[in-house]
Amino acid sequence: MRKLRIWLEDRLGTVPIFTFLRKKDVPQHKHSFLYYTGSSILLFLGIQIVTGIMLALYYQPTLKEANASVARIMTEVPLGWIIRSIHSWSSSFMIGLVMIHLLGIMLTKAYRSPREATWMSGVFLLVISMLFGFTGYLLPWDDLSLSATKVGTDIPNIIPVIGAWVTKFLRGGEDVTGDTLTRFFIFHVCVLPLMIFFILAIHIFLVQKHGMSIPLEAERKKEKVKALPFWPNFVLRESVAWMVLLGVLLTVAVILAPSLEPAADLMAPAPEGIKPEWYFLFLFQTLKIFPAKVFFVTGEALAVLAISLAMAFLFFLPLIDTRPWEKKGKVITWLAYAFLFYAAAMTVWSLL
Amino acid sequence: MKIKYSLFTRRSFLNSLVGGWLAVLGGVFLSPILKFVFPPYREPDQVTLPLADFKDMAPNTVKNFAWGSKPGFLKRTEDGTLQAFVAVCTHLDCNVAYLPDKKKFFCACHEGWYDENGANIAGPPPAPLRRLEISVEGENLIVKKPGTKG
Repeated sequence: MRKLRIWLEDRLGTVPIFTFLRKKDVPQHKHSFLYYTGSSILLFLGIQIVTGIMLALYYQPTLKEANASVARIMTEVPLGWIIRSIHSWSSSFMIGLVMIHLLGIMLTKAYRSPREATWMSGVFLLVISMLFGFTGYLLPWDDLSLSATKVGTDIPNIIPVIGAWVTKFLRGGEDVTGDTLTRFFIFHVCVLPLMIFFILAIHIFLVQKHGMSIPLEAERKKEKVKALPFWPNFVLRESVAWMVLLGVLLTVAVILAPSLEPAADLMAPAPEGIKPEWYFLFLFQTLKIFPAKVFFVTGEALAVLAISLAMAFLFFLPLIDTRPWEKKGKVITWLAYAFLFYAAAMTVWSLL
Repeated sequence: MKIKYSLFTRRSFLNSLVGGWLAVLGGVFLSPILKFVFPPYREPDQVTLPLADFKDMAPNTVKNFAWGSKPGFLKRTEDGTLQAFVAVCTHLDCNVAYLPDKKKFFCACHEGWYDENGANIAGPPPAPLRRLEISVEGENLIVKKPGTKG
């Protein structure tokens, strides 16, 4: 056994990794729970991978079969309904946690030097997660998902010059058709997973490289922050959090399984009361409230411009707020709360 | 003026030469990939529909037809003439519905309204519904883009 270990070590050289993990500390303070949001996202990502592979065993990404194959998963495949329900709910949990993770880091200013690149890779991961949600929403191919996809893929069209090409690329043609469905399936199960793994690897590497950030007050007072060894103490606490989250997820998934509407008809009018997933609702409502014309530009162009600027602000935040560690950054805190308020208000409004 | 020393080394010259060559090669591969990814599709210039299907429409009703992969509406107006629309909202591309009791077109996605002639009257739509031209040829109804010949 010892010999085998030495043989493997000579070839793989993994000792530094284990030494690092054994020495790694997780600081303890009043914002400590934010450290758990990151690892819990990984839990849901893992669940998505496992349930996603399972669903793909039965799902057929074609115009004729998509809706019917999801119906078969729901009715004929043993336990198919709960696997689909878990996949659907776990995606919501994951995106919710990604947003909490991001807001927490924005409020504690943990994106500041030297963690700018970590933040930016994180914003990338947020966008990829939302694209996962957007592409996955079409796959059951019912009325709601068709209309949501028509709207979502038409948005780039507003961008001058390249926009029309982006829309055409996403749709696989001028309109949303069966080709769009096949395309979205490949984005959802192949392109986006490759992207998320690549960027997640960078993100996690950067988190380890720079170490965990500690609260501003502690930094200011040059206090020594209490720390918890990563192994086994933090891992133990983390697994308790995972168990609780898993329990909540399974409960919700069993009680509130997603429905399946009849197959979408490309030629039928959009059904009333269409809604995207909850995490797009504030964007949906934003698009709705802009009037047709504001001065000389169309309302939709203005809405899309505003949304793009907000995204750009989020991405470049660490380059905009370059103040040193010990400064408080009240404006950013205020902006984060303002954004939270706006998103919550728009979401509630869209549900009325 | 004669420069005594070369401005770049042989290594940097070769690096940029090979690098540039690889970049061009990559670019050459990019073009067929992009060509493959964007499928050819053109909106039809015109579609031909059997007149019999639309002859008996009551006033203030619409019937669906396929305008390429988009839905189209043929509408019989109160005075009996036919109008043709591309039944797609000009805001963000959702399919619209016709509500005969209100005499309006309605887009459910973001609550856009058009009057009975397709003019945008409320909500976010920035332009009227696209109109198509109609002509009758024997047993057929020809629906075509405004301004095309044939």
